Amino acid sequence: MSDPVERMVNLALYLASTHAPKTAEDCRAAGLGYPEDQDDAAFIRMFERDKDALRAGGLIIEVVDTGESDAYRIDPDATYARPVDLTDAERSVLRAVATAFVEDPAFPFGDELRSAASKLGTSGSGGPLASADLGRTAPEGQGAHARALAEAVQTRKTLTFEYTNTANQTRVRSVDPYGVFFRDGSWYLVGRDRDVDEIRTYAITRVRDIDVNPSRPRTPDFERPADFDIRKVERLPFQYGDEPFTARVRFLPETAWRIDRLARGHGESQTLPDGSAVWTVEAHDAHRLASWIIDEGPGLYAVEPDPVIAELVAGLKRVAGSHG
Amino acid sequence: MGKRPDTATRAGRLLALIPMLKKGETIALAELAAAVGCEPAQVAADLSTLSMCGVPPFTPYDMIDLVIDGDSVTVYAEAPGIDRPLRLTLGEARALGAALDAAGYDSDAPLREKLRETASGTVSLDELELTVRASAGPGGLAETYATLAAAADTHEKVHIHYFTGSTGNVSDRTVHPWALVNRLGVWYLVALCEAVHEERVFRLDRIFDARPTGELFEPPTLVPLDVTPDTDELPVAAVRFAAGAHLPEPQAWSGATFETEPDGTTLATVPYQTESWIARRVMAYLGAAEVIAPPDLRAAVRQAAIDALEQIQ
Repeated sequence: MSDPVERMVNLALYLASTHAPKTAEDCRAAGLGYPEDQDDAAFIRMFERDKDALRAGGLIIEVVDTGESDAYRIDPDATYARPVDLTDAERSVLRAVATAFVEDPAFPFGDELRSAASKLGTSGSGGPLASADLGRTAPEGQGAHARALAEAVQTRKTLTFEYTNTANQTRVRSVDPYGVFFRDGSWYLVGRDRDVDEIRTYAITRVRDIDVNPSRPRTPDFERPADFDIRKVERLPFQYGDEPFTARVRFLPETAWRIDRLARGHGESQTLPDGSAVWTVEAHDAHRLASWIIDEGPGLYAVEPDPVIAELVAGLKRVAGSHG
Repeated sequence: MGKRPDTATRAGRLLALIPMLKKGETIALAELAAAVGCEPAQVAADLSTLSMCGVPPFTPYDMIDLVIDGDSVTVYAEAPGIDRPLRLTLGEARALGAALDAAGYDSDAPLREKLRETASGTVSLDELELTVRASAGPGGLAETYATLAAAADTHEKVHIHYFTGSTGNVSDRTVHPWALVNRLGVWYLVALCEAVHEERVFRLDRIFDARPTGELFEPPTLVPLDVTPDTDELPVAAVRFAAGAHLPEPQAWSGATFETEPDGTTLATVPYQTESWIARRVMAYLGAAEVIAPPDLRAAVRQAAIDALEQIQ
C-alpha cells in the first residue's frame, strides 16, 4: 500500500510537469501510487479526493474535455504566484502580524496565515517581536467557532446552533450566516435569523453546538443580500438605539488628530481655523454618547445636540454631588 | 505536542515546502520548520517523504533529489514541475486579510493591493472583504504600525508624539521599540522610553507621527510581553455601581473584582495606576458609579467632575 501523501505529491508533480492534459486513467497507469488491484469506482473516489486536496493546497487543476473523458492539467498562470515586490517595512509588517497571530488560539485562521506567510517568503526566523491575545474569554473556543462560522459564510450554508442571550435564555437558532467580525476581544456572527426573518448579531462566545446543513455541501442554501457589507455592521457604542440624530463633537487642536483614530470610519471631520476640529457623526443614544465623550477624553467636547450636552451636565453634576 | 495533521493537510505542507528547495542550497531544518509551522523532526519526515516523490518514469533523475544530514538538508536538483510558490488559497487570503485588518490596513491599502496579485483567481477578495472583518482598525494605525514594525525589526529608535489617556497630555518621546503586542484587539508598543530610561507600554492608537531617528539601539535579551500592569503593586479603590449599571469587563479594568450586593448594586475593588485614570472611568458612568474609598480619590473624582463641568459651561 503506497503512502497517500506520497501519491498526492506525485499526482501534483505529474500534472504540473506536463503540458498535455492527463486523464484519470493516465494517472492511474503512471505509477503514482494508486493501488493496482483497486476497482474502478474505488479508484475514481480516491482520485477525486486527491484532486480536492491538491486544489485545497492551491493547485488550480483545469478540466479539459477530450471528447471521450475528462482530462486534467495544472493552469500555471492561475496556480503560481508572480513575485511580489515588498518593501522592507511591508515585510516587517507581514512578519509581525504572522508572528503575533499564528499562535493565538482566538485568531481563527492561524494555520492558513502561516502558510500564506510561507508562500510570501515572510515566514521563518527573524522579524519583529510580536504577540497577540485577542480573546476576552475562551480563546480556543472562540477561534474554532469563528473559523467554522466563517467557513459557513463562504459556502453559504445554513447553520443551527444553541444561543444563550444576555438574559440567560437559551434557544436553538437557525441562521443564514452573512459575515463574521471581531471587536474588543470577541468574535461576532451576523446573519439572518430564519425564525424571525431579521438580520441579527450573535456573540460567538454565546454560541454552542453548531450544525452546518449537511445536505448538498457544495450548493449554497441562500443568497446574501447584494448590499451586505460587514464593515457597515460595526457601530460605535452610541450608535445603537432607535432614533438616529446628528451629533457634533469638537476636538482641541493638540488632539484633533485623534478623530481619525476614534471615528473608525464613521462621520466626517472639519478642521477649524484655530486648529481644532469638529466631528459630525450619526448617534442614536445621547446618554451613551455623553459617556463615550468623557471616557475618550480629555480634549473633546459635545457641541450639539442639546440633549447630549444636557446628559453631560446632569451626569457630571450627579458625579460631583455623590462624591461631595 | 500538536495534533497529527490529516493527509490533505500534510500534502499541502509538502507542496509548500517544494518551492523552498532550491538546487545547490543547504537549508537548516529549523528554518523550513519555522516556515511551514511544525517541528524540525516533522520537516525531516516530510523531506524523507518528498525524497520518495517524483514523476514517471521515476528514475533517479525524475525524483526530488535531496539529502538530509543532521539538522540540515541539501538539495541536488529542482523538484520536477513545481518550482515557484503557489498563489494564496481562499483560506490563506482570508487569514492574511484578517491579520492586516487587525493592523489597521483597510482593503484599499497599498500593501493589500499588492497582495491581491498573489491570490488565486478562484478567490473573490471582494467577497472576503464584505464578509470577514477582524477589526475596525483606528484610522491611521497602519502607518504607525509599519513604522514601528520596521523599527522593531531593525532595532532603530523612533520619535513619537504620544497622547496619554489618563491626563490628556501630549508628549514627545524617543523610544526603543522592542515588541508589538495585541491585547483584545488593541495594539501596544513595548519599548524603552529614553526620557525615564524604563520600559513603557504605549497604545498604538494614541501614537501620532512616529518617525525613525536613524539611531540604532541594543535590544534586551528578554522582552516582557505582558502589557497589563502588575496590579499587586497598585493602590485599590472601592467603587459601587448602581443596580442595573452595565459593568465594565474585568479585563478592561485590569485586576478588578466585582461582587453584587443584596440591594442589586455591585461593589468593585479596582487597582489603579493614576487617580486621573480611575476618575475618568467613574465619571463616564455619569452618576451610576461612585468611589467609596479611599477618601482622597473621592475628592479627586469630585474635582474632576467640577472641572469638566466648568469646561462645558
